[in-house]
Amino acid sequence: MLFYILKRVAAGAIVLFLITVFTYTVFFVLSPDPAYMICGKTCTPDRIADIHEKLGLDKPFWEQIWIFISGLFVGREYGEGVNAVHCTAPCLGYSFQTSQSVFEMIVQRLPVSATLAVGAAVLWLLAGIGGGLIGAVKKGTWWDRGIMVVALSGISLPNYFVALALQYILVVKLKWLPFPTAVPFADDPLQWFQAYIMPWFVLAFMYAAMYTRLVRANVIDTLGQGFIRTARAKGLDPNIVMGKHALRPALTPALTLFGMDFAALLGGALITETVFGLNGVGKLTADSITQNDQPVIMAVTLLAAALVVVANIVVDLLYSVLDPRVRVKAQ
Amino acid sequence: MSRQKRSKNAPRTGSLKTVSIPIKGSTLLDVENLTVTFPTVRGPVDVVKDSSFRIDPGKTLGIVGESGSGKSMTSLAIMGLLPEGGEASGRIRFFGHDLLDRSDREMRRVRGDKIAMIFQDPLSSLNPYYTVGVQIAEAYRAHRGGSKAAAKKVAVDAMRRVKIADPEQRVDHYPHQFSGGMRQRIMIAMALCLEPDLVIADEPTTALDVTVQAQILDLMKELQEETGTGMLFITHDLAVVSEVADEVLVMKGGETMEHGTAEEIFSNPQSSYTTALLDAVPRITDVVGDIKGVSHE
Amino acid sequence: MSAPASELAGGTRKGALSTLDSGSAPNPVKRVVAALRSTPSVVVSFGWIIFIVVLALAAPLLEQITGISPYAYHENAIDPALGGLPLGQWGGVSAEHWFGVEPGSGRDIFMRIAYGAQVSLTIAVAATIVTTTLGVVFGMLAGFFGGVLDQLVSRLMDFLMAFPALIFMIALLSALPAGNRPLLLVIVLSIFAWPYTARVVRGQTMSLRNGEFVESARASGASPARIAFKEILPNLRGTIIVLSTLSVPQYIGTEAALSFLGVGVIPPTPSWGQMIASSVAWYAVDPMYFVIPGLFLFFTVLSFTVVGDHLQRQLDEGDAA
Repeated sequence: MLFYILKRVAAGAIVLFLITVFTYTVFFVLSPDPAYMICGKTCTPDRIADIHEKLGLDKPFWEQIWIFISGLFVGREYGEGVNAVHCTAPCLGYSFQTSQSVFEMIVQRLPVSATLAVGAAVLWLLAGIGGGLIGAVKKGTWWDRGIMVVALSGISLPNYFVALALQYILVVKLKWLPFPTAVPFADDPLQWFQAYIMPWFVLAFMYAAMYTRLVRANVIDTLGQGFIRTARAKGLDPNIVMGKHALRPALTPALTLFGMDFAALLGGALITETVFGLNGVGKLTADSITQNDQPVIMAVTLLAAALVVVANIVVDLLYSVLDPRVRVKAQ
Repeated sequence: MSRQKRSKNAPRTGSLKTVSIPIKGSTLLDVENLTVTFPTVRGPVDVVKDSSFRIDPGKTLGIVGESGSGKSMTSLAIMGLLPEGGEASGRIRFFGHDLLDRSDREMRRVRGDKIAMIFQDPLSSLNPYYTVGVQIAEAYRAHRGGSKAAAKKVAVDAMRRVKIADPEQRVDHYPHQFSGGMRQRIMIAMALCLEPDLVIADEPTTALDVTVQAQILDLMKELQEETGTGMLFITHDLAVVSEVADEVLVMKGGETMEHGTAEEIFSNPQSSYTTALLDAVPRITDVVGDIKGVSHE
Repeated sequence: MSAPASELAGGTRKGALSTLDSGSAPNPVKRVVAALRSTPSVVVSFGWIIFIVVLALAAPLLEQITGISPYAYHENAIDPALGGLPLGQWGGVSAEHWFGVEPGSGRDIFMRIAYGAQVSLTIAVAATIVTTTLGVVFGMLAGFFGGVLDQLVSRLMDFLMAFPALIFMIALLSALPAGNRPLLLVIVLSIFAWPYTARVVRGQTMSLRNGEFVESARASGASPARIAFKEILPNLRGTIIVLSTLSVPQYIGTEAALSFLGVGVIPPTPSWGQMIASSVAWYAVDPMYFVIPGLFLFFTVLSFTVVGDHLQRQLDEGDAA
């Protein structure tokens, strides 16, 4: 088991390394020279060379990669001598726009993305599993059809369109909600809730739609399995057949998928955060892209990739706990 | 679950609890004019037509037929487990009580406890997420109650009876950790742990190797002799039927082609279909006899 | 799309792919025809797809007939006193401007929708063709030959699927020079999406490779290439049709989202996602401006999904029978 985990972690590290190299190449080698970004229009060749030296861009490619990666673990120096700036580990560099530490910027924004992800996840799991179960159990009835129509709409509606429509109806027309302005929970719980309720709903709607379809299909599939017939032939109560024998095989794949989706959302719900002006990692990503703030783009891409890789490992381990067939193989 | 059609003027024979108390002069299972109907786009189709047979305690009836002959639907109709849309009519008397007349709730008390079933593919018939012990014990607990520990002991005993080595350890293993033959032994243990009056075995050896087949058949015969349960043995394999059955019923396209004692059917088949089936089978009885001598699982 | 991209483009991936991983379909063409007749929702969806395709194709013709260009400013249709809001009800709907005009510029929304359909469909269909081709080629190579080749392709797919695709698409598109935007979109979409097709094709090829008819072809001395093209590929037809049908709405959705975020199709070329993006500033006073492109996007994605789902159900039922 330990060997299996180590193997997975090693594989994940290789993927992250490749992504680092790839991303670095695109943003520091192929992109327009970041030095021009920093010093603006009044640039002299001397100044450019200066910046290159300070950022380490004058060094060979693999050395740059090495400095970047070692910066993550032990920190790095920008510049030399008395002017040197020490960037402590984990060092992701400094924003070209605000000169802030990128690591600090991300840490500041994470709580917003986490709040969004957790709230939406609760909603979409409830709706998705509930809807999928009802659809499967009442397969072919009007209940089922109604749920499937809603789910189909959910996966077809662009979430920014839902966000705009919701804001227009609830804020502009009906005036049930004030214009969302995010504040910390401790400052004003009501305003906090009012700011998050629409983004939660918009995100949850889309995921709930996907999960409803998935859960329904899985439950219907499971109910057709031989072991369900065996359970019935044993004279078990229908609730036990459903709750014990059908639910676990049907929901296990959905739960592991949930791990991946949730981790991805922690890395920022780009569109939802942008539309609702929530200052999370997603909005940071969008802003850094428009401003061509390469250290930030680099950092958020790596964060998102790391979250996916870690979630992948966690989900696999979780699967090996939940599914006895995998459990034995992994040992 | 299917809604079984109930004959309207069938007498209510006794209450729920008395299903196992035989009505005087009744036999274990008496099926009369059983017809199973499924709706299709082209109108209703009878997958079992007017089938009648009886099984006495300790005896085995073999139903033989190719796939689609209606043999499995017959067994599911007896269990009250017809797939969605299926309707059964006629009479299925179990110790004189008409099972088609029972509510689903009442049928649940019969299933597993009075009539148990063994299916073809033991891997897909066992839930991969639970240990075999849990799956054997849950039938016992559902019908007899008692503590988990007591039920587990029942499971261990049942596994010992079907000759699974080291049952105390194996009871906590999962289905995929067993071989095909061992899995079928577990299905048999599950079916027999409540000592049912009737066991329905639907192609119990088809998914198994020939050597393992012979072992499972021997085990089933041995256990049947011990407990005296009646058996409905469904198969497409005449050679297998010749091994176990006292009586044989040959089905084709839902209709009964021939019905008689095993001896009659094999020595003097009346229907040309049975003759054709018999001709297609080499003298497997001899082969099985040979194999038994060398078989090890 | 991958998990990170699913914030915008998820939808059909899971259910669709999971059930497709096994089995194949004989004679899908006949079934396609039967599929489209049997249920009204499919017929309506198919009708909408045809409508959108015709609208896209006829856009230049409509421009000539009506004499309204999607780029022309109609200052007589907006009210400068109100900051450029369209004159009249419903965002300026009139006999001349069927869907009204854009606030601020007064450009005709109908013509921009029609040209936007052209852009959307071209990108989505082109990306579907590219990803399907790549997916089938790599999937078949990996599944058919196995061994080292399979290892290489599978690792490449794992790598691409672990990528935060949406973020990277956005970053890549914003870093790349403007150039031919639609072409760039097709390339970027394809890079990250082909593994999803390849994975399914690989699985099916592996199970087909061991099928009896392939054995018999091999026994009769057929070359590997002949077996791949004459025996295996025809059996993948149904799967490929379903996968591509379900890819189109995903790419339409992703293109719209990228354009909404300002890294997709750039103005003045119209795109539905970009129209919604520019409507954000006006949504409170001129809701028609986001409702129209939003509904077009919704109905188009929905229609392709309904048709794709239906084809898949037919395929599954064909397998079960």
